[in-house]
Amino acid sequence: KAMCSGKLQTALLVAGYFVYLLVGAAVFQALERTAEKQEKMAAAQMKEAFLQNFTQLTVAEMEQFMKNLVEAIQNGVYPVGNESQFEESNWDFSNSFFFAGTVVSTIGYGTLHPKTAGGQIFCVFFALFGIPLNIVFLHRVGKMLSLLCKKLGKFLYEKGMRKKKIKFLTLLFFLATGILVFLCLPSVFFQITEGWSYSEGIYFAFITLSTIGFGDYVVGKQSDRKYFSYYRVLVAVWILFGLAWIALLFNL
Amino acid sequence: VLLAAYVGYLGLGAVVLQALERPAEVQAAQNLLREHWELLANYTCLRGPALQRLIEGIIQAYKSGITLQGNTTSLGRWDYSGSFFFSISAITTIGYGNLSPSTAVGRIFCIVFALFGIPLNLVLLNEIGQLMLLGVQHCARRLEELFHWQNKASFLMKTCALVTGLLLFLLLPPLLFCDKEGWSYEEGFYYSFITLSTIGFGDYVIGMNPDRTYPSWYKNVISLWILFGMAWLALVIKFCINILE
Repeated sequence: KAMCSGKLQTALLVAGYFVYLLVGAAVFQALERTAEKQEKMAAAQMKEAFLQNFTQLTVAEMEQFMKNLVEAIQNGVYPVGNESQFEESNWDFSNSFFFAGTVVSTIGYGTLHPKTAGGQIFCVFFALFGIPLNIVFLHRVGKMLSLLCKKLGKFLYEKGMRKKKIKFLTLLFFLATGILVFLCLPSVFFQITEGWSYSEGIYFAFITLSTIGFGDYVVGKQSDRKYFSYYRVLVAVWILFGLAWIALLFNL
Repeated sequence: VLLAAYVGYLGLGAVVLQALERPAEVQAAQNLLREHWELLANYTCLRGPALQRLIEGIIQAYKSGITLQGNTTSLGRWDYSGSFFFSISAITTIGYGNLSPSTAVGRIFCIVFALFGIPLNLVLLNEIGQLMLLGVQHCARRLEELFHWQNKASFLMKTCALVTGLLLFLLLPPLLFCDKEGWSYEEGFYYSFITLSTIGFGDYVIGMNPDRTYPSWYKNVISLWILFGMAWLALVIKFCINILE
């Protein structure tokens, strides 16, 4: 009888999982479809307007140009401006380091990705050993964080509170400070440094710390803004502790 | 010491990647710039700023996932199958990013959706992983009974499971991708690993090529593959962690 209920549980889990995905898909579609249509119309209009102004160019040549342009963009080359672009590379050390971090933490934004076959293969093996390393590392950092909570628990215990209440309170404290320090405060910070709205900042913080990492918002990638020199280091530290916090949360 | 190893590891990776990628990038940039200037030279009525604006417009459109090809723009990507795939990429934390919500409501929904979906996904993966492990142990015990080996059987079964998993999830799928997507084997392998490890850059995504036709079972089979492959890879990584700790 126990085995039966176990199997039932697994079946329910699987069913629930797929129902969850299906529901999510339907909602996404409902929310995004119209906005996408509008953007497509705007893009087509832009193209039309441009062609009308410059009747010298044939449509075919325009197509070719845009195809080439899109290919370049897909390769990560944004041709705005002129010669000075060569000085800054997408693959300078700071960017590569950040990239390595996104690989090892499995965030994987994708705004920067290896295009050479060698780079790709290296990436695979780099991740194969880096991901376990990252997890072990985060465990350690998490243990440090949990020590803080234990200290708080001890303090409360000496004040004479019951164990259950202490556990509840420390959990609450952990949750609340974590959300404040890792989600709310950084969003305010990003409002200033990146010019995002507060909700965009929260979205970015969540997508990053959950390691989903879509890559639609990435720090330090806007070419028309000035970032102070240790900006990305600060963000990396934030990501690290935020990830450790989330890992701890799952263990509790 | 762990911290030093971690940072050192990241630094090493960064240096190697930089060495590998920089030349290709410079090449691509130079090619594009040359074209840019050629176009300007040939059609002098195209003034610089206007062209700049057009390019920026195209980049913007591209970032929101729209490419202008032919008279129409690319197929709607938020159709049901696309949205489903997006949901998968969200709760498995793969997060390709080739498709991402652009409306504020969509984004908020995405956060909430992931907040509950990710634990659900983890629990499911754990279950699948346990089942796999049980299956392997079961076979190992059977072998022990049959041949009266002791510890050898378990070790043999584990390596067998590792090799089958490797074949099934990492080495064979690229062949499928070769055929259906037109990628090279190496690219297929790269895609498989990046997906199953949930890194998910989004530089390669299946079923996104508008010039190709995909059979109807394709996306479903891939989804199953992602699920089981992730469970398997998670087991392997757990194993590696046990060795490390």
